[in-house]
Amino acid sequence: MEPMAADDIPRWPERWPGRLRVRSRGGRPARKVVIGAGLAAYSWVAASTVPFTRNALLVVLLPGAAVAVLAYGRPARRIPPPDRVDVTGLSYWAVCIIALFEWEAAAFRDNSLWWHPSLTALIDPVLGVRPVKAAAILIWLLSGWALVRR
Amino acid sequence: MVTRVLTILGFAAVIAALAVLELLGRRKGSRIPTLGEWLGYVMRSRAGRLLILLGWLWLGWHYFSR
Repeated sequence: MEPMAADDIPRWPERWPGRLRVRSRGGRPARKVVIGAGLAAYSWVAASTVPFTRNALLVVLLPGAAVAVLAYGRPARRIPPPDRVDVTGLSYWAVCIIALFEWEAAAFRDNSLWWHPSLTALIDPVLGVRPVKAAAILIWLLSGWALVRR
Repeated sequence: MVTRVLTILGFAAVIAALAVLELLGRRKGSRIPTLGEWLGYVMRSRAGRLLILLGWLWLGWHYFSR
């Protein structure tokens, strides 16, 4: 399969020569600990917000803004993407993801009744437990960082 | 009751299949891309990057704000 559209995303380090310094993979452990503790604290506080409130919206929008800045304003050091992926291998992923959406849509169409719950209806009660919600928010934040590096 | 269990089993089966694909993709010489590889591939273009990041933001809003 031919690669997708032209790679028009500027890549580190060509455009930002000031960021040329090479970091070792395990470097700056203290910084990582501080950032990790900050993210964990943020997740814990964010998990205390009540759904459908302004604060609940803000705890999502703030990381969203940070990711937008990192993604477009000050790109992080990125992991080089593959030049091509196997179509057959990719189709396995596509089939599973489409099946997940279809299963969810079928439940949503039925108004997520007790006998045919949507994934959201199944997950919401679990997220009602604060430590679980905090852990989920932390995973979401880390996945946002992982996506910025892609 | 049976319908509810079947629905939950359906979700579990699909999520398990996704996990298996990730494990298979991590094998040496595998033709199946890992989650990170195909996401990186999709995010090569500006539109793909925007789409994936918006999807991430939507997930956060859907599960944590409402």
